[in-house]
Amino acid sequence: MKLIRPVVCSLAVAVTVAAPAFAALGGDATSVQADLVKMKGALRTTSSATFTVHEITTSYGTVVREYLSPGDKVFAVSWRGPVIPDLRQMLGTYYGQYEQAASTPHVGGHRHLAIERPGLVVQSSGRMRAFSGRAWAPDLLPQNFSVSDIN
Amino acid sequence: MRKFVALALIQLGFLAACGGGGGYGGGGGTPPPPPPTQTIATPGMPNVEKMTVDAGPAGVNAVNTAYISVKVCVPGTTTCKTIDHIEVDTGSIGLRIMSSVLTTAPAITLPAETNGTNPLAECLQFADGTSWGSLAIADIQLPVSGETATNLHVQVIGDPAYATIPTDCTGIPENTVASFGANGILGVGPFIQDCGSACVAAVTPLTVYYSCPSPNTCAAANASLAEQVPNPVTLFGADSNGVIVELPAVGSAGSATTSGSLVFGIGTRTNNGLGTATVLPEDPITGWISGTYKGTVYTKAYLDSGSNANFFTDSSLTPCPTNTGFYCPASTMSETATLKGANAATLTANFSVANADTLFSVTSYTAFSNLGGTNSDPMGFDLGLPFYYGHNVFVAIENANTAGGIGPYFAY
Repeated sequence: MKLIRPVVCSLAVAVTVAAPAFAALGGDATSVQADLVKMKGALRTTSSATFTVHEITTSYGTVVREYLSPGDKVFAVSWRGPVIPDLRQMLGTYYGQYEQAASTPHVGGHRHLAIERPGLVVQSSGRMRAFSGRAWAPDLLPQNFSVSDIN
Repeated sequence: MRKFVALALIQLGFLAACGGGGGYGGGGGTPPPPPPTQTIATPGMPNVEKMTVDAGPAGVNAVNTAYISVKVCVPGTTTCKTIDHIEVDTGSIGLRIMSSVLTTAPAITLPAETNGTNPLAECLQFADGTSWGSLAIADIQLPVSGETATNLHVQVIGDPAYATIPTDCTGIPENTVASFGANGILGVGPFIQDCGSACVAAVTPLTVYYSCPSPNTCAAANASLAEQVPNPVTLFGADSNGVIVELPAVGSAGSATTSGSLVFGIGTRTNNGLGTATVLPEDPITGWISGTYKGTVYTKAYLDSGSNANFFTDSSLTPCPTNTGFYCPASTMSETATLKGANAATLTANFSVANADTLFSVTSYTAFSNLGGTNSDPMGFDLGLPFYYGHNVFVAIENANTAGGIGPYFAY
């Protein structure tokens, strides 16, 4: 597995959108607003030429980001904070694949998990009170997108 | 389960033959020597527990995992059971015991913890999965030191009476001894409770604590700090402000087992003073310090007895062909990181990284000081049990007064 050091996200201007649609990994923007409703968080949306980020900040401090391609498809998600968000909700139809891959023996004990399948990458790390993680579907990434921008 | 032993046998002479090697940080065939001043407290009353690194309970095949025994009693009675192979984890909070261990003859049944209305259960999150089980109340005593805590809230993981895992308790279940890697875990990290304020009054209750009108109808619920699972050390009378993990140095080829001491209290006795240790205050929310390694700042650094390797990202280290996720440099690399506390105090951390496939070829060995692996967070720098060998590593609990200041902090 190769991890790339994240660079500062080169997003342009933050724009607040009134009623954005949310979706789990692989979903499209017309599908659900479930995440926002469920997490009852504050929303911030930022856009660049190649992708849009919907960021939900919950009252308890977990920040979830969902990365949408120009075609409004969620190609990546990330999270950081005191608790890990509902992964079934975050990973959507990919949850089964995650479940299968994460159930096999892995390095890293309770602190680190790295899954790299042809169609799904999941990286989860941290301790109680300070978790972080990200997941993406390689075949959904926009052209010229660097996964180091998923943070 | 956690070891992933390489099947290919590689000659042991390999390491010695390949010293040098260069690379950033230099190379070398042996780990850095331990501080000459390391003194390991002798296990015994009133505050030093014996700690052992071995393969763990049957079927686990652990490496770099430190265990102690804990005596668990029905509160207020002499109905007790001593449980071995409880993992010592400075990266989590609270005592958690696998149900199967409690129900093995002679079985012991602990009373349920309730919120006044319903029994409580917990979906305990780890980065790699979740442990589900009911909450119970126990008196505990550590058999060697005699430290006691009464009416302690503990989690009973994999309780068959609570067999239905709520659908919002997501993540891979780790509810058996084999999948968990221990008979239980003693979380003695830098916080007073496992979840803390985040679980007290969330608009939508976090999926951590659950209220259970019946065992199969548990629903996420807020839990007061008093209802949460606490750091047992905070109940240890005079020695409640933190712990010291003291393990001796381990040679470059590893060791079958090793043992040391888990010392309770910081500066509360003649055997637990800070001495010349440097205090690195942690971020009070996350428990992080920062680390600089090869010119890069890692914002999420920590020392963690519950990590079985030093986990960090270094693309110059060759990944293992067999034990994927660990590093397999051709020659053992000597590395240096500079750790920095929230107050800007710094401390040098020297460690080495050997070829994990080679280390694991000696299947009877369980302690390795030079095991390294990739961190799933590019900004994470996790100095695990390998770093503890040869160091006395202090963890002070949040808000606790110590001779070295108020916790949370690391020191060594």
